[in-house]
Amino acid sequence: MQLTFDADVEAFRAEFVDFLDKNLPRESEATQRSRSSADIPPWARHWQRVQFDAGWLLPGNPPEYGGRNATLLEQYVHQMELSRRRLSASFNPQGLGIIAASLLSFGTAAQKRDWAVPILRAEITAALGMSEPGAGSDLASLRTRAQRDGEDFVVNGQKIWTSGAHDADVILTFVRTDPDAPKHRGISVLLIPTDTPGVTRRPFGTLLSPNDLDFNEVFLDDVRVPAANLVGDLNQGWAVANGSLGHERTLLWMSFAERLEDLTDDVQPTSALERDRFATLAMDAQALRLLGSEALARAARGEADTPSLSALKLLGSESVQTATEWALEAAGADALAHPARTAPESPFHHDSYGAGWFSRYAHSFAGTIAGGTSEIQRDIIAGRVLGLPRG
Amino acid sequence: MLFEFDSDQRLLRDTARDVLAKECPPALVRDVAENGADPGPLWRTIGELGWTGLTDPAEMVELGIVLEELGRAVDPTPFLATSTQFTPLAPDAALAGRPAAAVLAGITARRDGEGWVLSGTASGVLDGDRAALLAVVTDAGVFVVPASAAAVTRTPVFDPVLHVAEVSLTEVRVSGSDRGVADPGPAREIALTGLALTMVGACQRIFDLALDHARTRRQFGVPIGSFQAVRHKAADMHVALVRARALAYFAALTIAENDPRRRLAAAMAKAAAGECQSLVFRHGFQLFGAMGFTWENDVQFALKRAKAGALMLGTAAEHRSMIAEEFHAAHL
Repeated sequence: MQLTFDADVEAFRAEFVDFLDKNLPRESEATQRSRSSADIPPWARHWQRVQFDAGWLLPGNPPEYGGRNATLLEQYVHQMELSRRRLSASFNPQGLGIIAASLLSFGTAAQKRDWAVPILRAEITAALGMSEPGAGSDLASLRTRAQRDGEDFVVNGQKIWTSGAHDADVILTFVRTDPDAPKHRGISVLLIPTDTPGVTRRPFGTLLSPNDLDFNEVFLDDVRVPAANLVGDLNQGWAVANGSLGHERTLLWMSFAERLEDLTDDVQPTSALERDRFATLAMDAQALRLLGSEALARAARGEADTPSLSALKLLGSESVQTATEWALEAAGADALAHPARTAPESPFHHDSYGAGWFSRYAHSFAGTIAGGTSEIQRDIIAGRVLGLPRG
Repeated sequence: MLFEFDSDQRLLRDTARDVLAKECPPALVRDVAENGADPGPLWRTIGELGWTGLTDPAEMVELGIVLEELGRAVDPTPFLATSTQFTPLAPDAALAGRPAAAVLAGITARRDGEGWVLSGTASGVLDGDRAALLAVVTDAGVFVVPASAAAVTRTPVFDPVLHVAEVSLTEVRVSGSDRGVADPGPAREIALTGLALTMVGACQRIFDLALDHARTRRQFGVPIGSFQAVRHKAADMHVALVRARALAYFAALTIAENDPRRRLAAAMAKAAAGECQSLVFRHGFQLFGAMGFTWENDVQFALKRAKAGALMLGTAAEHRSMIAEEFHAAHL
C-alpha cells in the first residue's frame, strides 16, 4: 500500500500538466455548448484534435491513434488531471470510449482508418445502437435483424435510447444475424452511417425538457449496409459488447468519483444536518477513490475482476444520487427556477453541469439506470461475488 | 495512490486467519463467555507471533491486518486495548507480554511539588480490569501508573467476552518521569483506526455466517439466498463492508506515513465502521430469522462485538459531525 505514485508516473503527470497549461482552451472560447452527446462545438473539435496530435487524447493508445502507449496507472493520473479541471477530452464520449475503442480492438485496418481515426480526430461523431424496446437489461434478447444479401447486409428493426444518434455520423449497431442460435451467439455488429437510406432517427425529450434532446429512437427499414462494415466476426457480437463495455467498466467508477469530488467543492454545509450529509459525501468520495485504485492496481497486474466492479458502480451511482438530492434540498426554493443555472458551472465538461441542481439530481438517475441498473448490479454482486445461488 | 496489500501483507493476513481459526475458534469464545475460560494461552500465542511487537506507527497497516482478523475471531484477549490504546500513549512504558489499558477521561491532575497527584473515576475503560499498566490522559498530560494503584471494577456489558471497567484513582502521586506522550491526539487516531478495523472484522464474521445460512437454509424448496430480497440485502452488506474496510485501511496508511489527512481519515474510518455495523447487524440478524435470536448461535458474539465497537470512542454520527471541518482543514 502506498499513498503516492512512483516517480515515473509523477513525471508522466507533470508532462501532461505542462501540456494542459500551454493548450487549455480559454473560457471565453468555450461559450458554445454541445446540444447532445454526439454534437461537438467547433472549439471542442479543435481541442480534441490538439490532444490527438500531441498523443494526449487517449494516452493508452499507440501514437497513430492519439496516444503514447501509456500504462494503466499513467492513464489514471491523466484522467485525474482532466477531472481536477472539470475538463472533457471529448464531447462525444461514447464515440471515444466505446465505438473507437471497439474498432481498435475488433475492427479491420480499413475500419480503423475510415472510422476510428476520424472519430478520434473529432471529424465525425458516433452513437451506440444497443438497447431496443424489448432488450434493455436483457440486451442479448435484441431482435433487430440483419440478413446477408450479396455484398450487403439488409437491416430491419428498431433501436432506442441511442444517445446522440440525431447528431451522429455513424451508429455502431448490434444486430441479430443468426436467429436460430442461442441468443448470445447470434449477434453481430455493424457500422451504419446515419445517411444510409432507411435510417430514421427520432430524438425525444427528457423529463427535464422536450428540447433536451439526446435520447433517440432509430428505425431501420431495409437498410443496406456493406459487408465491409461488419465489426469483428459474424455472430461474435457478444464478444465485442463485452470487450468494449469491459474497458468502459474498468474506468466507469471514475466518473462517479469525479462527480462526488466536484460535489465536495460545490456544496458548502451551513447547518448541523448539512455537515452530517457532507461527511457522508466526503466518505463516499474517498472510499470510491480507494476501491477504484485497488481495482486499477489489480487490472494493471492483469487480474481484472469484472464482477467486483459492480460494487464500485453501485456505491458510486447511488452516492451521487443521494448527494445531489441533498444538494438540491440545501438550495431550497431557489432551486425551483428552471431552466436555470442554480449549480456551479463547468464549461469544459460535456456533462450538464451548467444546469440547475434539479437537473443534476435528475441526471444522477443515468448512473443508477444506464450501464446495468442498480438492481442488476446487486444481483451480479450476490451471484458472482458472494456466490449465492440463482433463483 | 496504490491501495492494495503487498505480498508480505497478504501473507500476514492469511497467516493470522489460519492461526486464529485454530487458536481462537468459536468454541473458545463461547467457553470464555459461558465458563469464564482463561484466554491466556491465546494471549501468549499472540505474543509469540510478534503481534504485540507491532508498536511502531509505521507498521499501522500490519497492526490493522492483525486487528481485523482478531475482530473476525471476536478476540477475547486484551490485545486491542494494549496495542491501540495504551501503547500509542506510552510507547516507552509498554512491557512485552503485559496487558495494558488507557484511561481516556475522568481523571484530573493536580501539581504537587516535583510531581502530580491524580484523582477521579473513569467508566468504560476497555480492559481496565485486567491491565498491568494504565496510561491516564489528563489536562496536564499523559501519565503511566501501575494498575495496582487504582481501584478497578469490571462492569457487566452486553458483549460477554469484552472487558470494560470502572477505574478510580484516589490521590495517586506520580513523578515527572511517569509521563507518556506530550500530545494524545495521534494516539487517539490509532485507537479509532484500530477499533474501526476490529469492527470491520466482526462485521465480516457476521456476513460470512449470514451468507452460509442463506446458501444452506431452504424454504419453499430452495435456498433462501436465491430470493432477490435476500440477495439484494447481501449486496448492500457487501458494499458497506468494502467501503468501511477501505476507509479503515486508508486511515491506517495515513498513520503509517504520518500523512496530514490522518485526523480526517481516522474520523472517517470510525464513522464508516459504525455505519457498516448498523447495516450488517440489522440485515445479518434478520437473515438468520429466529435462529439469530438464540444464545446457541455463534453469530451473537460477532453481533455484540460490532455493536459494542460502534458505541465506544464516539459513534458514527459524532464522527460525521467533525468530518466537514476536518475535510476543509485537510484540503486547504
